[in-house]
Amino acid sequence: MSSVTLSNVKRAYDGAWALNDVSLKAPDGQVLALLGPSGSGKSTILRLIAGLEPLDGGEIRLGDETVSTPSHTLPAEARRVGMVFQDFALFPHLNAGANVAFGLDKLGRAERDAKALQWLDRVGLKHRAGAFPHELSGGEQQRVALARALAPAPRAVLLDEPFSGLDPVLRAELRDATLATLAEARTTTLFVTHDAEDALQVADCLAILKAGKLLQSGPPREAYDRPASIDAAAALGTINLHRGRVENAAVTTPFGAVAAAHLAQGASADVAVRAEALRLAPGEGARVLSVRPHGAHDLVRIEAQGLVWRALIPARTALGETVSVEIQTAGAFTFSA
Amino acid sequence: MTRNALAARGANIDGVALVAALATIICAAPAIAVIGLALARSDGGADFGGDLLANGAFGTGALMAAGGLGAIVFGAASAALVSLCRFPGRGLFEWLLVVPLAAPSYILAYAYASLTWAGGVSPLRIEGFWGAAFIYAVGLYPYVYLAARAAFVSQSLGALEAARTLGAKPGNVFWRVALPMARPAIAAGGALAMMEIAADYGAAHHFGLTTLSTAIFRAWYAHGAPSMALQISAVLLLGALVFLILERRARGRASFAAALTRAKPAPRYQLAALPALGAVALCGGLVASGALLPLAWLLRLALLHANVEDVAGPFLNSMLLSGGGALVTLALAAAIAVAARRANAFGKASLYAAAAGYAAPGAVIAMGALALFGLAREAGWIGGLGPALAVTALIWTYAARFASAGVQPIDAGLTRLSKGLDASARTLGAGPWRRFARVDLPIAAPSLAAAALILFVEILKELPATLILRPFNFDTLAVKAYSYASDERLLEAAAPALLIFLVGLAPILILTRGIGQVGRR
Repeated sequence: MSSVTLSNVKRAYDGAWALNDVSLKAPDGQVLALLGPSGSGKSTILRLIAGLEPLDGGEIRLGDETVSTPSHTLPAEARRVGMVFQDFALFPHLNAGANVAFGLDKLGRAERDAKALQWLDRVGLKHRAGAFPHELSGGEQQRVALARALAPAPRAVLLDEPFSGLDPVLRAELRDATLATLAEARTTTLFVTHDAEDALQVADCLAILKAGKLLQSGPPREAYDRPASIDAAAALGTINLHRGRVENAAVTTPFGAVAAAHLAQGASADVAVRAEALRLAPGEGARVLSVRPHGAHDLVRIEAQGLVWRALIPARTALGETVSVEIQTAGAFTFSA
Repeated sequence: MTRNALAARGANIDGVALVAALATIICAAPAIAVIGLALARSDGGADFGGDLLANGAFGTGALMAAGGLGAIVFGAASAALVSLCRFPGRGLFEWLLVVPLAAPSYILAYAYASLTWAGGVSPLRIEGFWGAAFIYAVGLYPYVYLAARAAFVSQSLGALEAARTLGAKPGNVFWRVALPMARPAIAAGGALAMMEIAADYGAAHHFGLTTLSTAIFRAWYAHGAPSMALQISAVLLLGALVFLILERRARGRASFAAALTRAKPAPRYQLAALPALGAVALCGGLVASGALLPLAWLLRLALLHANVEDVAGPFLNSMLLSGGGALVTLALAAAIAVAARRANAFGKASLYAAAAGYAAPGAVIAMGALALFGLAREAGWIGGLGPALAVTALIWTYAARFASAGVQPIDAGLTRLSKGLDASARTLGAGPWRRFARVDLPIAAPSLAAAALILFVEILKELPATLILRPFNFDTLAVKAYSYASDERLLEAAAPALLIFLVGLAPILILTRGIGQVGRR
């Protein structure tokens, strides 16, 4: 088990930056989530750490060992970094037990088989050891892939969108089980997702990426409460935007004022307000355009002075045709425009 | 639904079922006749029949083992090299390696015989059992190559990368993951190559070997024992069907090994100088010995000994017979393809019958057709086997033997005719004829043309059935090449052999046009 450190990492495909100057650290034994839309470079980070691709700039360290520089790439097979692929990539010609045993070939046969079985047991699949990948369900395949990656006691384990191919019910269940297995193994983990909920639920530490750039990294609570930019704020939920001027240390929006003490008087500023930071009550101030159920909440579209915002409020809150709007400061941010 | 519409639907289903049933009978009747009559007429020739059958079975088995093993090793090795490695000329070899499919084994046998025998240039003589095994290996390895290459190219990049993250070095990744994942496809290709070896008559005959195919001819012509020929045919047919089943099984397993999702092809492994030289030598050697060398040699001989008059008649006969046979077979294949889409019992039966016909050697189908015409004559339905009836029997044999080869490209064309297209044409007011003429036909036309070309060439190359059933004094290119070669007049055999080779190149070039584009980075 080792920490994983990226320093000023660069990677280009066909002349375009897939990663541009990204520095990150996954501390020893912790779970780092890489969050971003497709094309943000998050999967590229995993492939670089695994040693499946060379680096164009910067360096990657596993613990104290430098494993990737532009001039040297320690081969994937020599890194002891486990990886769970998006399509799980189980070997179709081997059964579940043999898949898990694949990386244990330095052990004797008896020991290897015992250890593979032990790992299958940990993910609750001991009884499926003889099944071939095409006989396993999607969730079972994911668990076999996780056991396979963890069995050789890797220095770090990388998970590429590990829950994306699964149905929503299974997804939450498997996420918890995976987290428990990883916690038990105490392995440094990096996992890639485009789902904010996955990231917030699983990660000790969060890295938000967009278009090959690192927008923000830190604990999930901090990233949620103090986003570094509009994009970073948008990565963790629905936000509402407005551009205005700073007057008396605040920016006034059609729905109310937002504090902007750190910005200069008269400066142009962008306001970002999380949908869940809007409180609605029967009254005057904004018109209700629509109310739609959204899980445990209702998503309400409100309009004032031609601007439409979205608010997430407790489901079945009684509202009239017009509402009063309160912007909670914890979920409202201003940025220099 | 109105009564009329119901009636129309009913008639439609009956029509397709009827056509499917007819197609099943056409494809299966000769094979059924062989087995039925072999069981019914187990008399005559018992004294020497046992030996002939045993020797033939041994010869065919040994050739399948030796030639098949060679084809599997050559095909799998070359497929692995061009799919997984980088070396000079890789892109060129990727499609050149298919070219030996153009020449049937007997053409290669004649070319090598003249190359290495009297008047030839090589001191190493290609002859006897090992000569035939060599020709099968270098001529039929593309069956394995195509299947293995498709498997290697479609392999999940993730599985290969996963093996590396689990500590496997590149060589290990190949032996422990890539090769085992391709094994079912290699087995399927190997089974196809072995079925071709079992079906071959011309090469085995030229090298003087006793196989089941040559034994059929010997029983028929030398011993005048038709019932024995039928019995040997039945054994050969059953053996071919076993391999057909093995091939289908292996192909089914191969589909498990194909990737579910595939983002991008695996980057190819750069070979160092010495291994790269080895790769070029292997691929170059295979292309040269399976195609270029015999082609060049036949070309040289044909130019030296060109006799246009001698070849013109057989050429015309070949064109007419192959053209007519291809049209009939195409119609049959189209009927089977349409019926099979219904996925009912009739459609499936026609598909299986066609597959069985394709697996059965030409000599066997011809024996079956001959036996059926014999029965019809005994019943007094027809007279002797005159030219017209002989050509009918021959075309029937071609249709039963090759329909399956036409079904697959036609089916691929039909796949592009989605229900949505048909529905949208209907909402735009097009009736059945207009839909057929303006939508179905134009979309399926390229597939039909490809199928017709494949069938034309298969029929042109066919030797044993043509030998058995052709009308008296009716020579095709294949027959002409065969009879010259049988008389050891290999110089004269070169021109018809060359023509068959060149015509055979056409579908290969069409087949390989798309090959380079698949999985290219």
